[in-house]
Amino acid sequence: MSELLLMCIIGGHRAAIPAIRVQSVIEIEEITPIPGVPSFILGLTALRSQALTVIDCSAALGFESCGDITERRAAVVDVEGHLYALLVDEAYDVGEARSEPVDVPGGFGPGWQAAARGMVETDGGPAVLIDVEVLVKGRVAQAA
Amino acid sequence: MMDDLLADFVAETREMLEASGGEIVAWEADPTDRTRLDTIFRFVHTVKGNCGFFDFPRLEKLSHAAEDALAECRAERREPDSTLVSAVLAIIDRISEMTDAIGAGEEFPEGGDDALINALQPKETIDIVGELASAKTDHLTAEISDDPSTPKTARTSVQRSIRLSTELLDEVMKGVSDMVLARNDLARRLREAGDQPGIDGPFDRLSAILTDVRASITRMRMQRLEHLFTTFPRLVRDLSTELGKQVMVDFEGGEVELDREMVEMVRDPLTHIIRNAIDHGLEGPGERLKTGKREIGLLKFAARQAGNQITIVITDDGRGIDTDRLAAKAVAAGIYSQSEVDEMSERRRHYLIFEPGLSTAEQVSSVSGRGVGMDVVRANIERVGGSIAVSSKPDEGTSFFLRLPLTLSIIAALTVSSGGQRYAIPRSYIEEIVFGSSDHVDFADAGDRRLVTFRGKRVPCLSLGHILGTEANDEVDWKNTTLVLIRLATDDVFALAVDRVYDHEDVVVKPIAPAIMETGLYAGTTLLDDGRPMMLLDLPNIAQTHRLVNEMRSTARVAEQNQVEQRKTLPVMLFLGLDGRRRAVRLELVRRIDTVSRDALDIEGARAQAVIDGSIFTLVGHEFGALPEEKCRLLRLSDAECEIAYIVREVLDAANINGEIVPSNDEPLIEGTTLIDNGLVPVIDGHALFAVHRPTDRGCQPLSCRLPTDSEWVRTILEPLVEAAGYRISTDESEETDVAIRLAENAAEVFGPARRVIHLRPEPEVGENDLGSIYRYDRDALLAALKQARTGTRA
Repeated sequence: MSELLLMCIIGGHRAAIPAIRVQSVIEIEEITPIPGVPSFILGLTALRSQALTVIDCSAALGFESCGDITERRAAVVDVEGHLYALLVDEAYDVGEARSEPVDVPGGFGPGWQAAARGMVETDGGPAVLIDVEVLVKGRVAQAA
Repeated sequence: MMDDLLADFVAETREMLEASGGEIVAWEADPTDRTRLDTIFRFVHTVKGNCGFFDFPRLEKLSHAAEDALAECRAERREPDSTLVSAVLAIIDRISEMTDAIGAGEEFPEGGDDALINALQPKETIDIVGELASAKTDHLTAEISDDPSTPKTARTSVQRSIRLSTELLDEVMKGVSDMVLARNDLARRLREAGDQPGIDGPFDRLSAILTDVRASITRMRMQRLEHLFTTFPRLVRDLSTELGKQVMVDFEGGEVELDREMVEMVRDPLTHIIRNAIDHGLEGPGERLKTGKREIGLLKFAARQAGNQITIVITDDGRGIDTDRLAAKAVAAGIYSQSEVDEMSERRRHYLIFEPGLSTAEQVSSVSGRGVGMDVVRANIERVGGSIAVSSKPDEGTSFFLRLPLTLSIIAALTVSSGGQRYAIPRSYIEEIVFGSSDHVDFADAGDRRLVTFRGKRVPCLSLGHILGTEANDEVDWKNTTLVLIRLATDDVFALAVDRVYDHEDVVVKPIAPAIMETGLYAGTTLLDDGRPMMLLDLPNIAQTHRLVNEMRSTARVAEQNQVEQRKTLPVMLFLGLDGRRRAVRLELVRRIDTVSRDALDIEGARAQAVIDGSIFTLVGHEFGALPEEKCRLLRLSDAECEIAYIVREVLDAANINGEIVPSNDEPLIEGTTLIDNGLVPVIDGHALFAVHRPTDRGCQPLSCRLPTDSEWVRTILEPLVEAAGYRISTDESEETDVAIRLAENAAEVFGPARRVIHLRPEPEVGENDLGSIYRYDRDALLAALKQARTGTRA
């Protein structure tokens, strides 16, 4: 199987989002903040008259928020009918997985572990395959 | 329910007729065409099946006959010829006619069916069939026009209905929603561009059309509650059988329409209420008979539309909510203490049913389960912007009242801002909008709770910034806020302080991600006319979180107390203090109002006294301002034992306090503030006043005075005067009074002991028998004597 993956950097590390889940990659111009929400939710942004919930992936995994959002790219995914923009440090091209997702002995470290479906080999080296469902719920961030 | 199914039947039949119209023509051209034959066979077969379900014997008979004839052909036992085709087509035409009549709710004229059926018979001669076939149309037409009860015009104005997939509907809805957004955007740009008569006119028209279209689309999304109700009899039957109970279901208001989505949202909560009612509410037949009820329990659904709200009431005539058991469980579960439960009103106890984890069932049954229940029901109802209430009487039954908004997705909203960001508030909640700087708005504090007084009401006030956690309450510049008065479905009112109020706008609400939902602050999101997202506030939830809803724990008790206080009106006297400020004192404390000269007041250091009619009173109220130059108005306040003179600038009026008195801790001698004629008025704390100013000596302990008992003049004229002079009229024969007043005319009267006696004479002239007496109308002399008696006694 060669699953297509959107290669990106989250919290300074290589990560991969299943490309089949990604509707598009956008550059976020403006975010409407939502008071009262957990910090990994940056707010809402509008895309073609639809509101997307902007998730700071770094924060969702329990890392420092990467702060400045300008020029940053986000992957648009649909989880249970809700659209999310997953803001990553950097987003690259779509690449093929060169292996099945596998566990790494000792795990991926706190944060990563809960939201990771495993490690995949890619052309650019190993990457953590992100579980989008877990990520948008922010369970990791809340537990941390 | 029947109506809807019928409409479906009619629609389906017409649909098939339309679809098979071409087939019929093709079949007529080539009766041997097997595919066409099959299509037409399927049509009459379906019609036959449906008719049986609806009890249309004539339709069934016709379709059955046609089906039989066609089945023969399909089985190749009969060769389809033009005769048969004509006969079948005649029947199909007749079915179509009849269906239209059903759709229009009319009776189809009797007769003619047999001839059509006979025409299907292969033995018939061509002549007859031909006659029938050609006569068919005329015959029917004649029938129709002959019968005045089925005017042809009515037939042609049959309401046509089609079936659409809900996805398509949603798509259209979404399209219209986006059009509204585009319209709003365009409107904004046009506004910015200024007046453009050539464009504004057409734009307004476009806008109006769009509004109409959207209204129609919204109606398309509406569904009769019947759709929901139809599923309940089965549920009730299954449950009651399982539990060995007999239940009758009654529906009312099934014609009320609700947004399709909303119908789905309330399905589970209603189902749960039904389960609860049958499991816990309704008794078994034996128990019912014992209590003199009908063996069969009644479960009643009533729906009603009022404005843009729907009320659904679910009533059972069961045993009612066992509040004692509920309360005991609440205590056992540690939700409330016994004393808290004891303090609760019965109504409040009913609401325990909405507490998480309370189930009244003795045994956990498979039906209602472990009290998973009413708390979830309530949460679900509130999630869609509705509310739920309960009322119950022992042995009479229980009612649940559901209030639901009409639609989920488009709401009229008010845009407000806080912290530079905009939020939408559903307009249905908004009672009024006032500026914090307005004259008739007063802010007050009760503990940490900010209150605002407006139109004679004191309501809790929350700042939106505080709710959202962007601004602390004490940072709020209240006077510069705009207050939106919110009335929830529960009739709880609170004021929401926002930075600014913008437009009224119809917004299309879209669901928000679960993680945002978890904040409990937002009900959805919508896009501003410039395309930026805006959050829709979840006011019922916010009110609950801030304990502003009546049924919520702890605030409920306060609310109950308030209600008691509100019923009790408290008469007070309003006056202006020396500082010109309006105050109130409980009327029962005010003994009388006196006017004394400035000289009668003596203030020295901490001691302040007033002499009124020869009596010395502790003076209060002088600390508020300069004393008047001549006349001073004094309120004589009494705690039944002791009197205090309260100096005022002006006595205003008597008034009633209907609202509550909000306690105040800042001013020690003020009981609290209340609202009179839309103004905040501090109420004098009588208790504290007397506690502080009660003289330690017996100075204001009234002296006693004995008066003759058998004189009308004494009672009406003298007694008030003596009392006014600060004496207590003694009625005790044996008591040695400070003073006794005797009338010269009945000098012989036996009198009780007195330390000093004042003699009054009836005539101005001093007679020889009444030396030392005072003329009874010589007021000054009399008062002087009384005063002398006082000072003498003291000395």
